[in-house]
Amino acid sequence: MIFCVRDLSRELARAGVPRRLRRRIEAEFTDHLACDPQAELGRAADVARSFADQLGTSRVRRAAFAAFAALAIAGSLFAVAFVSAGWAGPNGSRVYMSSAAAGYAGTVLVLFVPQLALVAGSLAALRAFRRRHDTVIPRREATVIGRRTAVALASGLASMGGLLLLGLEFNGRLAGWWTSLTLAAAAAGTCAIAIALPAFVFAARLRPLARGSAGDLFDDLDGVVPARLQGRPWALACFVAGAVSLAVALSGALQADGIDGALRGLAEALACLIGFALLGRYLGLRGQVPGRRSPIQ
Amino acid sequence: MNADLLKGHLDALILAIVAARPIHGYAIIEELKLRSGGELALPEGTVYPALHRLEHAGLLSSSWSGGARRRRVYRLTRRGRRELGVRRDEWKQFARTVEAVLA
Repeated sequence: MIFCVRDLSRELARAGVPRRLRRRIEAEFTDHLACDPQAELGRAADVARSFADQLGTSRVRRAAFAAFAALAIAGSLFAVAFVSAGWAGPNGSRVYMSSAAAGYAGTVLVLFVPQLALVAGSLAALRAFRRRHDTVIPRREATVIGRRTAVALASGLASMGGLLLLGLEFNGRLAGWWTSLTLAAAAAGTCAIAIALPAFVFAARLRPLARGSAGDLFDDLDGVVPARLQGRPWALACFVAGAVSLAVALSGALQADGIDGALRGLAEALACLIGFALLGRYLGLRGQVPGRRSPIQ
Repeated sequence: MNADLLKGHLDALILAIVAARPIHGYAIIEELKLRSGGELALPEGTVYPALHRLEHAGLLSSSWSGGARRRRVYRLTRRGRRELGVRRDEWKQFARTVEAVLA
């Protein structure tokens, strides 16, 4: 079979291989054919698919790990700023009770959105880690990892925005060092997340084409979920929400404010369940992920 | 040799060949054939995606050669050399085990 580089170029484009990478692959195959015009290089469509599968898999995995690392840094900075508020003034531990509109927006952004970033980022990294030895993963699975990474990065950026708002909102009401610390933490966290963005963009541009299912939350937590909850995503969500609620309520009780702790625990549990209902399918936690059709069938 | 038998070992074979010297894609395939006495005649198009993947994983690096012909030359990175050592050990262990069972 005569291998035609022009066919390969067309198939690579159909597979979503970016132009610059395409040029390099074409040059390598042109050189190969110059060495041996009768070389058995296989079908152009198969070669293109192989590139998309292998590079798409590597890229989506790297994006998930990069996002997780960036969010770990941003999350640590966030925690330092948030926890240190307790020492920054008489009402430092209640900074989220501001009455200003910016304070409310900041409150939502610093209380709930970071948790979304943590969950989505951890699940993206967990799935990527579980598939770390696979040369190729199905397109649907790559879509799930990509969506989790996207949600994690977007939530991380929003959280840093919330931290910035909070810092500005309480400027003058809490100690000056806290405002400086919070603004610096927000800026540094934003930079960390921004550094992870290119890997995500590269991964989004090239996805594997292989067929197969995406799996669900039970694939992520294989070996961890109690047998009674296996195959019952909503039961597992309720279990997790209950555990989170209990932990928050206990922490409130330890701070000698049991009622506040119980209310916060209830809010956390509700947030867990609402998040699961809204994003569970999109993030591949329950049901099948429809995903986009592969450009090459 | 059945191409399926090669599937799990292609990366190690490529790393072993690139470990010897900086080398371009066509020469890697020729070296594979030469070293295996012609037994490892896999579809040549499958080697290039693997080379790109190994480079993306940081096990290989590559650059355009400065000669008359534009060609991509691959080199083993430090991480790639470590990985090759691991793969060699794993293979020796595997071969010993299978040999012990089959003998």
